[in-house]
Amino acid sequence: MKILTDSIAIAANEFRQFRRNRASVLISLLLIPLFFTVAQGAGRGSAGSSYSPTADIPMVLVDNDHTLASARVWQTLAGSQDFHRLTQTSDEHAAIAGLGLKKYYAVIVIPKGFQGILQSSELNSTQARIILYTDDSEPGFTSQVSGTLTNYVQNFDPRIEVQPIVSELQLLRGRIGGVEIIRRGTSFPGFNIGLTVILAIVQIFAVFYEIAGGLSREREEGTFARLILSPMNIGSMILGKTVFDLILSTIRTFTVLGLGIFLYRGHPNTQIGTILALSLLIALMTMGLAFLVSALKIGLRAVVILEFFLVLMLYAFSGLLIDKELLLGGAAVIANSLPFSYAFDAMRRTILVGRPLLSLTTDLTVMVTSIVGLYIFSYILLFRFRERLAT
Amino acid sequence: MTEDTVISIKDLTKKFGHFTAVDEINLTVEEGELYGLLGPNGAGKTTIVRLLCTLIQPTSGTASVAGYDIREQAAQVRRRIGVVSDGVMLYKDLTIEENLKLLSTLYEIPNEQANDRIRELLDMFAFKEKEKRMVKALSTGWTKKAMICAALLHRPSVLFLDEVTTGLDPQSAIALQEFTKSLCKKGVTVIWTTHYMGEPDKICDRIGIMFAGKLVKNGTPKELKLAVNDLTVVEVDAPNLSHEQLQKVKQKLNLNGSSKLKYEDSKLLITSDRNNDLAEQVSTALVGVGAKIRAINTKIPSLEDAFIALTGGEEEIDRFVEAGQK
Repeated sequence: MKILTDSIAIAANEFRQFRRNRASVLISLLLIPLFFTVAQGAGRGSAGSSYSPTADIPMVLVDNDHTLASARVWQTLAGSQDFHRLTQTSDEHAAIAGLGLKKYYAVIVIPKGFQGILQSSELNSTQARIILYTDDSEPGFTSQVSGTLTNYVQNFDPRIEVQPIVSELQLLRGRIGGVEIIRRGTSFPGFNIGLTVILAIVQIFAVFYEIAGGLSREREEGTFARLILSPMNIGSMILGKTVFDLILSTIRTFTVLGLGIFLYRGHPNTQIGTILALSLLIALMTMGLAFLVSALKIGLRAVVILEFFLVLMLYAFSGLLIDKELLLGGAAVIANSLPFSYAFDAMRRTILVGRPLLSLTTDLTVMVTSIVGLYIFSYILLFRFRERLAT
Repeated sequence: MTEDTVISIKDLTKKFGHFTAVDEINLTVEEGELYGLLGPNGAGKTTIVRLLCTLIQPTSGTASVAGYDIREQAAQVRRRIGVVSDGVMLYKDLTIEENLKLLSTLYEIPNEQANDRIRELLDMFAFKEKEKRMVKALSTGWTKKAMICAALLHRPSVLFLDEVTTGLDPQSAIALQEFTKSLCKKGVTVIWTTHYMGEPDKICDRIGIMFAGKLVKNGTPKELKLAVNDLTVVEVDAPNLSHEQLQKVKQKLNLNGSSKLKYEDSKLLITSDRNNDLAEQVSTALVGVGAKIRAINTKIPSLEDAFIALTGGEEEIDRFVEAGQK
């Protein structure tokens, strides 16, 4: 019972201090959500537009085949939403030379004999190729453009493994006079993709500083020692600060959702309750990590440095920048070890595809387990080192 | 150790790596006693307070506060102590009243009782309209008073006042000293640490002189001064003495190692082993070097003189303070 009354007292104390600090209220509840939402909204477009990372990049197609099949490839790509700035040329050398000069970022070459190989592929399983040259100076661009291109031209690949598409291909090859391009994959409204990133980053950015920074400030100002000298259990302090920050996180979630829905016409494919639950799970994971870091007796400056490091690391390894399934080697190991990756995965599956939260058992299990683990570990460390932290 | 003993310290030692901050201290403090710990910065006073408050663990030795062992029964010790120290502060964005309400919840003081106590403390210190101000808006003196209110809220039997008058104006410092004495009369045991020599001389029942982690001497102010009664202190008002003149005077007086000669603001202060003729010898030496003497008198040794003598002279203190700063 005492632990509960103490927790409520600590949470109330946090609120009193928070509301008196107008800068904190503005930054935590408005500026951070507003900044990230507007930045993502501006970068990815609103719900009405399908976000494409390749749409506005200058590219050129060189048709060396001059056949009906190559003409259809050009028509399909040029008419798609992913290649708005695709032009055509017959000078392959000049096109490739333009790569390093930022004139073109990719050159798509349809080699001579493309249609012939396609027609004979049913008999001898040879492969029709499209050659892609890219500007390697742009990180991640090659994988983006080759992925998008593959989506559009996959029906030219006789060894494609996706069954429904193979059957359709066979049908199409039967009437090669009119080659159809089948597009695989799903197009998500631009802002919905952004929403999955914004909610996660906003919570991590704000929560980590509020908890780790707050505890560091308490230590430096001597109020932590005051609490430690009282008969309060360290668990009450953890619980009180958690309750306080969960309420702030709820407000932040609704701020982001409100801005996303009304400013950028976002329409997530799941209920608000699911988004709130996921957002709070991310906040809890961050809190657990922040309490753990606080037990290391780090100063306010170190908290800020760690926060930037954490956010950058999550951008790199947690699927915010590149899907964790596409990462290789050590990066993939790191991504699969980070509980945040599973939280972002759950965000995408619910907001973009509309999967029910409870059906994501792996993601939920990892999240809940890591929250419990981080809190237990934090409690042990803070309890064990509480005197050291107070002096 | 008697049944009135509230603080009992036995061979208490605290080391930080190779540095010994507190070195085998032995001490007992009785109920209602105002005990002063006197020493320069870095002498180990605050470390002793932190040890007794259970904020740090001793390297060796034992101590009990209010009957509870500081190692084994830290929680019970904490319930019975109040601490006023720069390292134990109030929330700056809260008013003093809000700070006290938070603490009353943590100390499980029933609501009505807590309100009465808060009112009583705020009235006692005459906070009036200041009780609605946030702590960060209070002056140093009022902040110290607020910290004392917080330390007294749960009615502790032992109060630690660590350098509590630092930064206070003289009036506030005197008021605080008087208030502390009144607390002791009510049975509260107070440990008062300071590096100001005058304070413990005026208010403390007993004083412990600390130096380099050791408790060099322990006793009433009178006992400590008697311990240096074999000193003679001569003060001369002699303006414009040159360095050469001072050196010659030093040579003529033939001062030994424990003696000292200090010249500041036209005042020459000479402390030496008991010597009834010292004033005359100093006068002769000064006249001999052509110095002008406006006044000369022999002083009764003060607590400061006792402190300097007991800690090995002023140069030793300077060396220690410099080492501590490094």
